[in-house]
Amino acid sequence: MNQQELKDRLAEIKDKLIDIQQPLDDRIFLSCEAENAYAINKFLFEEVPLRFVITTGIDSDSCYEILYHYAYDQIGYIITLKAFIRDRENPSIESIAPFLPGAEWIEREIHDLLGIEFRNHPNMRRLILADDWPEGVYPLRKETRQ
Amino acid sequence: MIEVFQNLFWILIFPGFVFTLVVGLLASWIVRKVSALVQWRVGPPLCQPFYDVLKLLGKEILIPQDAQRAVFVSAPLVGMAGVLLLSTMLWRITITQSAFVGDIIVAIYLMVLPSLALILGSSASASPHAAIGTSREMKLVLGYELPLVLAFIVVVIKSGGQLSLAAIAQQTPVLSISGFLAFFISLLCIQAKLGFVPFDIAESETEVASGIIIEYSGALLAVWKIMQALMLVALPLFLVMVFLGGFGTAGRPLVWGIGKYVLVLVVLILIKNTNPRVRIDQAMKFFWVYCGLLLAIAVILATFGNYYGISWL
Amino acid sequence: MSWRMWALKKSVWVFHVNLGACNNCDIEIVNLLTPRYDVERFGIKLVGSPRHADALLVTGVGTRQAIIRFRQVYSQTPKPCVVFLMGACACGTGIFHAGYHVEGPIDKILREMDPNAIIAYVPGCPPKPEAMISGVVKTLSAI
Repeated sequence: MNQQELKDRLAEIKDKLIDIQQPLDDRIFLSCEAENAYAINKFLFEEVPLRFVITTGIDSDSCYEILYHYAYDQIGYIITLKAFIRDRENPSIESIAPFLPGAEWIEREIHDLLGIEFRNHPNMRRLILADDWPEGVYPLRKETRQ
Repeated sequence: MIEVFQNLFWILIFPGFVFTLVVGLLASWIVRKVSALVQWRVGPPLCQPFYDVLKLLGKEILIPQDAQRAVFVSAPLVGMAGVLLLSTMLWRITITQSAFVGDIIVAIYLMVLPSLALILGSSASASPHAAIGTSREMKLVLGYELPLVLAFIVVVIKSGGQLSLAAIAQQTPVLSISGFLAFFISLLCIQAKLGFVPFDIAESETEVASGIIIEYSGALLAVWKIMQALMLVALPLFLVMVFLGGFGTAGRPLVWGIGKYVLVLVVLILIKNTNPRVRIDQAMKFFWVYCGLLLAIAVILATFGNYYGISWL
Repeated sequence: MSWRMWALKKSVWVFHVNLGACNNCDIEIVNLLTPRYDVERFGIKLVGSPRHADALLVTGVGTRQAIIRFRQVYSQTPKPCVVFLMGACACGTGIFHAGYHVEGPIDKILREMDPNAIIAYVPGCPPKPEAMISGVVKTLSAI
């Protein structure tokens, strides 16, 4: 697929997205709300198809953002899906590990550091914090201080 | 009464413990220095192995809580005693020509003692790394003992069925085809017994963190190092006596003998520095299949040579 | 000086411990032990077990997970031994001093465990192998 065909494919799920941006030639950003993230991820991974790279978790002041990064290697494009979690008290999003086993560990790490709950995660255990780290203290949240 | 003191002198001072230890530590310095020169670097000073042993004697001994204390402490001493006895016996045969019938069999038995002591000591260590080292060392011993004994049988056949080292040391089996094959294979078996690359599978630092001696520290580790130094004297000397025509006691035969010993040592070092470590299954296949086949051919050639009187077979 | 310390200075066997480092210092330590720098001239040898070691080459800032294991490693090293703290992180937590995972400077924890510990500091980020050799040699002549 060349770039125009890729953008046409991505436009198929336009109704679930907030917007599509392309700030650089090979960088596409899709934004959505957290409820639609599972379906969009399934579409991107299985239908297009794209290669999953990694997930990022961000604590923006008004909401949490989960970024899913995909790559399309034939033309060297990186496509990022931004999912906004508006609920800051109990942040929660559907886990994509059931159909994408490669995302299992990064979701465990985001849960350890930011405290975001991933529903239906097959194996949610502590990954990178120390064994004797207290539960419920999430180091990378903005309100956590030493 | 005088004889008791004389025997104690033989065993403890010359040519027993002190003499063999000094020569052994010098030999281990030769190993390290030649390895350094092969790698284009300078290498340790002459007294380095002595400093190592001295330092180890000064450190505290830590024994793991779950280890079998009696076996753990006595295994290195048993191994060292075995090699010491072998070395004393070989030197005494060389110096006083007082061999006895069957002494080559005694020597083969004594050569197994250090490997057995390593296996016992590491299995008493109560550590998973040591357990891996134990199983590897056991398989390795199973692997190389057979070709080693076969190689000596070739020499016994060639000498017409004589089992006495003084008679065997008179001739030079390495100048014949079967003798050369047997010498070459026994060199590789000695390489495995000394724990040199490519057969240092049991004590492989990068894989199992010095598996077989991992729990030893302080004076007990010093005893293992002393045992290795004594083996560096006894085993090449045994090879020189069996294959290369013996070790003289005075004048030209003595210089010749020292040259032969250094030659065997340098060949061991060069093999050590130019080869990677092999896996345990590769080692066992090598010893049983390839060495076994070569030695079978050597035994047949030696039998023919002995029967028809052809000395170069 | 006792013969133990004299022998220790002549033959130092090192064991490498990483307590949560970024691996820069570890790469430099592994560089140090290659034939190019030839530390075997000083009697230094790399061993695979802390029970054979005389010197611990410690890198890293000292995270909560790692300090638990470091206590065991230090108690398994037969005394007398020297602890070399390599790199800015090991010398005093470096740029990670406010991190949530940092247990504390390693030398403070070491002094609590063993007031008589011999500690040497080799700063740098990472310290060059020549700096490490210089640190080791200076420490050994000062003991």
